[in-house]
Amino acid sequence: MEDDEEPPMAVQIQPDISVGKIFSVEESSDVVSVGVTVITGYLGAGKSTLVNYILNGKHGKRIAVILNEFGEEIGVERAMINEGEGGALVEEWVELANGCICCTVKHSLVQALEQLVQRKDRLDHILLETTGLANPAPLASILWLDEQLESEVKLDCIITVVDAKNLRFQLNERRDSSSFPEAFNQIAFADTIIMNKVDLISQEESDELEKEIHSINSLANVICTVRCQVDLSNILNCQAYDSTHVSRLESLLEANKSLTTTDLHDSGVRTLCISEPQPIDLDKVRLWLEDILWDKKMEMDVYRCKAVLNIQNSDQLHILQAVREIYEIVPARKWSEEEDRGNKIVFIGHKLDEEVLRSGLRDCRP
Amino acid sequence: MASESDASSIATLSCARCQKPAHLQCPKCMDLKLPREEASFCTQECFKAAWSSHKAVHVKAQLSSIAKSLPGDQNSDLISQGWLYCVKKGQARTPKLPHFDWTGPLKQYPISTKRLVPAEIEKPDWAVDGTPKIEPNSDLQRVVEIKTPEQIQRMRETCKIAREVLDAAARVIRPGVTTDEIDRVVHEATIAAGGYPSPLNYYFFPKSCCTSVNEVICHGIPDARKLEDGDIVNVDVTVCYKGCHGDLNETYFVGNVDEASRQLVKCTYECLEKAIAIVKPGVRFREIGEIVNRHATMSGLSVVRSYCGHGIGDLFHCAPNIPHYAKNKAVGVMKAGQTFTIEPMINAGLWRDRIWPDGWTAVTADGKRSAQFEHTLLVTETGVEVLTARLPSSPDVYPWLSK
Repeated sequence: MEDDEEPPMAVQIQPDISVGKIFSVEESSDVVSVGVTVITGYLGAGKSTLVNYILNGKHGKRIAVILNEFGEEIGVERAMINEGEGGALVEEWVELANGCICCTVKHSLVQALEQLVQRKDRLDHILLETTGLANPAPLASILWLDEQLESEVKLDCIITVVDAKNLRFQLNERRDSSSFPEAFNQIAFADTIIMNKVDLISQEESDELEKEIHSINSLANVICTVRCQVDLSNILNCQAYDSTHVSRLESLLEANKSLTTTDLHDSGVRTLCISEPQPIDLDKVRLWLEDILWDKKMEMDVYRCKAVLNIQNSDQLHILQAVREIYEIVPARKWSEEEDRGNKIVFIGHKLDEEVLRSGLRDCRP
Repeated sequence: MASESDASSIATLSCARCQKPAHLQCPKCMDLKLPREEASFCTQECFKAAWSSHKAVHVKAQLSSIAKSLPGDQNSDLISQGWLYCVKKGQARTPKLPHFDWTGPLKQYPISTKRLVPAEIEKPDWAVDGTPKIEPNSDLQRVVEIKTPEQIQRMRETCKIAREVLDAAARVIRPGVTTDEIDRVVHEATIAAGGYPSPLNYYFFPKSCCTSVNEVICHGIPDARKLEDGDIVNVDVTVCYKGCHGDLNETYFVGNVDEASRQLVKCTYECLEKAIAIVKPGVRFREIGEIVNRHATMSGLSVVRSYCGHGIGDLFHCAPNIPHYAKNKAVGVMKAGQTFTIEPMINAGLWRDRIWPDGWTAVTADGKRSAQFEHTLLVTETGVEVLTARLPSSPDVYPWLSK
């Protein structure tokens, strides 16, 4: 210890800026979160090709790729991270925290991704590549976090890569078993579908397949590619689960006036679009949706649901998003004076009963 | 230019020597992060005049911090006796204090060796190798179980035992007692009742209960630190009896606690009380978060978001997940026969949490205090039954509960 005989110079007291911040207990910081894109698809469809294409492209973005073997359950122990910048691939192992559920809100996969973002200088995007036959629904529920958690990661988009040459065969597999082949789930849950290897089929076949895909999922964006060479702006930063980013949803609903699948494939997995011009009651809508999503009313199995809603007594356009049982309805922006304030709801699923859904929506009128 | 509110906060500081308004502070006190009130002076002259007596404040603070960090104190004695610091989520131990930018005054202390459980006690599958196998793969992680009358009766039994074990822990709390001693009481009381302390070796958690002091939010590991007068401490007990779990926790006062801490604990108690009041068939699980958040925010406090309430029964943790913050997407509505916990963690400062090097202890990121209360609940046809409710024999520790 120094022997201070002489006092040091006292310093000017600065206003305590940090004190002001602490007072606002409910402040929301401007957390910039890194988008996570889930890439799924059959073995050999071209997922790895797509991933390599993204990693090696001269786009100046730092992207981490995580290879995962989810299969049916998410109890994975380790993921490998490839990070490419100008072609250099760096591999490292990220240990997922032993799947300790222990009353934590965030799944260990999310925690591992957050740790990754914290450790890296700058990460622009994360790609989560699932291997084999994987249904992306469980992943979506884990990654679609509440905004209140202000996580450093957020679900950006679900992409399915399909093999143009083999898709028809994969969809027809159904005839041999009672459950749906994964192809239907992967298409139904996707935000974007990359139809790869189109060079191996004719233009007519390609058009047919696209129609087929849209009959399962009318909302997905279908991109035809050769060797997965796709414009990155189509697959990164889609913000498909961002409640405030409505424009993509609106344009989808606008562009596809007749989204309802007319020719009923014997798959039974299809898209249904219903509308209602009058404003509807929010509480009734919630109960109606919960009936369908949580209680599986009339045995309808809804995989995805998106809607633009006109809620009674609100000047805000509301957006509805649902993946399996998880849903949210949030106000997105003010209605503009001129626009048509109708409700438009799109369901993607199995055993959808149009009449039941239409009358249910009608009953949501105040 | 300082804003109006800033100007007024400076104006309230007075010179430690002559009480005139102060605009200067001692740089040494700033370095040592000592309170501003005793470090403020009106002029360099006043500061100089006060120096010879003022500098004693630095000496005291420095001595105290050295004593706490020197291994040459009780901690080193303990290390030589086999007490070690916990790291890697409980899977490893080390003789040296891990490096960390501790968010508040608290740090890790060494922990005692593993407590044994007699062979005749029925144990869950993680007791031996630290890794639950049945629980993570169960359907009950996705579907909320409706308990049969027989299961409900077993839950009542387990929860009563858990309550009695927690009460036993509460009775030993006072300044000078270590959290390790609290753990010993919990461990022995649980075994005496024929149960297994669920936390023990759950994903390698090293002890039989969680003890969370001051800025620790939850999952604090019982260790060699002695409770101090003015501390608040949460004890979280889960008992596994005849294959069925019962989970509860309470935050206790150690000696004389300051007003802010008393308010924090009382408000947290009320958050749980108000949440329980809405439990009945048909209520959405996500509503719990709205209630807790409303009451906490109204009192100027924040709600921890990283941890949630959970289903419980034959599994320690299962569906549903019940967040305590508002605007959450929790799935499902309450139905008669369901059992789950509600366990709000409320912070005096901001909601964010960080994890210690031991991989378990969650602390407030800003170092301010946190309190928690928890009950295991059963939804009945008309409302709720609090399975872990206080008993007539429960110790009288909350002033707002006594007549």
